[in-house]
Amino acid sequence: MEILRGENLSFKYAGGQGNAISDVSFRINEGELIVVMGESGCGKTTLLKLIKKEMIPAGEKIGSIYYKQTKIEDMDERTAVADIGFVMQKVEAQIVTDKVYHELAFVLESLSYKTEEIRIKVGEMASYFGIQGLFRKKTDELSGGEKQLLNLASVMVTSPKILILDEPTSQLDPIAASDFIATLKKLNKELGLTIILVEHRLEEVFSIADRIMVMEKGRIVSFDTPSNTGKFLSGHKMLAGAPKAVVLYKEMKGIGGECPVNVKEGREYILKNFDNKIRSVKEYDIKAEASNGTGDIEENAIELKNVWFRYHKEEKDILRGINLTVKRGEVFTLLGGNGTGKSTTLSIISGLRKHYRGKVFINGRKIKDFKRNELYRENLSLLPQDPITVFVKSDVYSDYADILKAHEIKNNIEERINEVAEMLGISKLLHKHPYDLSGGEQQKCAIGKILLIMPKIILLDEPTKGIDGCGKEELINIVKLLKDKGITVVIVTHDVEFAADVSDSCGLLFDGEILAKASPKEFFARNNFYTTAVNRMTRDIYENVITLKELVWIIKENMKNQKIKI
Amino acid sequence: MNDKMKIFNTYHPLGLFIYFASAIVITMFMINPVMLTIAIISGIAFVLTLTDIRTFLKNLAYEIPFFILIALTNPLFSHNGVTPLFFLNGNAVTLEAVLYGLDMGIMILGVIYWCKCYSIIVDSEKFIYLFGKAIPKLSLVLSMALKFVPVFKRQYRKISDAQKCFGYYATDSYFDKIRNALRVFSCLITWSLESSIDTSVAMKAKGYGLKGRTHFHNFRFHIRDLFLIAVTLFMDIVVFTGIGTDIIDFRFYPKITQINLNAESIAVYGAFIILMFMPAFLEIKEKIKWKYYVERI
Repeated sequence: MEILRGENLSFKYAGGQGNAISDVSFRINEGELIVVMGESGCGKTTLLKLIKKEMIPAGEKIGSIYYKQTKIEDMDERTAVADIGFVMQKVEAQIVTDKVYHELAFVLESLSYKTEEIRIKVGEMASYFGIQGLFRKKTDELSGGEKQLLNLASVMVTSPKILILDEPTSQLDPIAASDFIATLKKLNKELGLTIILVEHRLEEVFSIADRIMVMEKGRIVSFDTPSNTGKFLSGHKMLAGAPKAVVLYKEMKGIGGECPVNVKEGREYILKNFDNKIRSVKEYDIKAEASNGTGDIEENAIELKNVWFRYHKEEKDILRGINLTVKRGEVFTLLGGNGTGKSTTLSIISGLRKHYRGKVFINGRKIKDFKRNELYRENLSLLPQDPITVFVKSDVYSDYADILKAHEIKNNIEERINEVAEMLGISKLLHKHPYDLSGGEQQKCAIGKILLIMPKIILLDEPTKGIDGCGKEELINIVKLLKDKGITVVIVTHDVEFAADVSDSCGLLFDGEILAKASPKEFFARNNFYTTAVNRMTRDIYENVITLKELVWIIKENMKNQKIKI
Repeated sequence: MNDKMKIFNTYHPLGLFIYFASAIVITMFMINPVMLTIAIISGIAFVLTLTDIRTFLKNLAYEIPFFILIALTNPLFSHNGVTPLFFLNGNAVTLEAVLYGLDMGIMILGVIYWCKCYSIIVDSEKFIYLFGKAIPKLSLVLSMALKFVPVFKRQYRKISDAQKCFGYYATDSYFDKIRNALRVFSCLITWSLESSIDTSVAMKAKGYGLKGRTHFHNFRFHIRDLFLIAVTLFMDIVVFTGIGTDIIDFRFYPKITQINLNAESIAVYGAFIILMFMPAFLEIKEKIKWKYYVERI
């Protein structure tokens, strides 16, 4: 049964140029799980806001959206609040109150429920979402994943008929994000809840969706099942962030009919269509290494020797004797679960926190010998998780000028800024307010700020958090650019795919120690679960295939062997 | 601070509020040394059941000098009384003033202990419940502010760390430190304005602003809450009768009066003892109960 219908909908923001949404029509049935995808600025968020009465932005609207035959703007206020739930991207800002139970009760208070009724509903919700243990806690004490689950639960208490989510997992780490998506799937399957989800973590949501809406420049260009969407995408330019199996299908120019959408189908697809006589990618590696060429540098950029750290005297040790050497010009990635001390390690290397045992050397000097700001002058810089924290001025250009001033660089200011901006492709963003930039743009501008002060070492803390597939690809190129400039890069991330793409070496932080630093190839090939989608897809078919490029290469080699024409 | 389960913590906010109001107000207006001794000993007993002895002793390091300061200030500035002990700069330091100073010191220390217990037991949640009905908007604002404070603090740290790593902290000079703190603060203001926009959108989406908003709470009124209120009010009546009449009247100036020790005044003291030692008694009773309960399992 149809629950939501858009009819020739166009929308133009007040004061905006051109339509954010133009002539969009769609039908969504009850119980469907819809994933909306598209590049940033394609109008997906605007479309979602037009479905929620209280959030309709100011502007000109033509056409309408109907909820069960009622126009959204004609809906009764209380029904609009109760029947359509909305979860936003910003995890923390959405939380209104200081206590978990109060947050859960908030919407019911608005709808004038009595304390006893609220208690029953809230109790049921907390039990369903498994957060009853958090009921009396302060919202501040929750982890990021718990906070977003609370946001979801506090919307679900009114038992809405449609749940809308705008990139709900973009600020979460991958494990919390997977849990969150699993919860959504459960809501959809168990309660038949209609869900409309904007998400850039497509690898996971692609195959659980009933239908996928692809948007481009304010229009819906495709609205179909995952497999058909995969087919559509393979003939389309927008593929960044799409599941690896879909990208493989595109690279193989659609050989073999149906488009695979997840790891399992990807495996079947490879087994069915391609040969695996040539199993090893050694030859490819030799070629790649020749172009890489950092093997012979012996100078250490960072050296950690038996470093121990804890936050307070009476607390447990976070780092328990870390040893790590990073060579100059190396890109090193530190992986590991939540709360294992990855970010703590970065704050030790960057001198923000002091270890209580062991030694840390930066560019061959003891970290304790650097006077207070010497370390941050042409030596080392850290890009924190939340790039917005690095901006101090109201536009990017003056921010850049400000950091140059702080570093007492007085000549060629404009040239320096333009050079960096061109290199990163952010010339257009220079006169924008940092808060008006998307997550990926903020990230790029923050890296630009670092480049202006030319440190020898750059530390990146979770750089892929909150950016979409497109931004991620740009980030990979930027890291390669930094490497070409001879800068040492240390990345802390949860993102295995990203790590496999950018790093020269990887390490796993576990129980306060770095276990076995190795090249991404060795590192991921010996892991069974904690590894890339391509590796999981090709396990036992090919040997040590980690990235998609390698997979495409080996399949083509096999095809040459078989003398099959593509 | 109150992560351990305390029996007094589980009472209904209304009863607790009446109780603490009585205890603190009576202590504040008391001069009679017997009553004040009861107040301070019961206060210490209550504090000890709520916190551990180490924190208590640590706090003594501040409290004893404070006590001495008050006890000394009075005789130095007040020269009332008829029994001069010695002369200082031509002014008499009298026995009455010295004793009154000690008496006031005990009173203030007692009030401090009771306020400490109040702040441990009546947390923001109970306070919001008590005053939320009268001023619903205020209670929401308070709850939002309480949520915001730790977030704000954390963001301050994040911004300050980020800027440190960009080499903004050029020197160790004091002037520079202030300038940097101001810069971080200005970033923080922008950030909090931005995030408050998101919060207000979320509130609107959750129906804030619709008519007839109710107030959810987690408290239930039990028989024992009624019992607590009844006992408190009864003891209040007895004690206030004692204050209103001259049963427990006591004066330092011009000459120290006798402490009344007749049946009536003893009844008032007894009522005050029951009132003030009730929480400590309840906590200890609970501890003993659990000790035996555990032994039985």
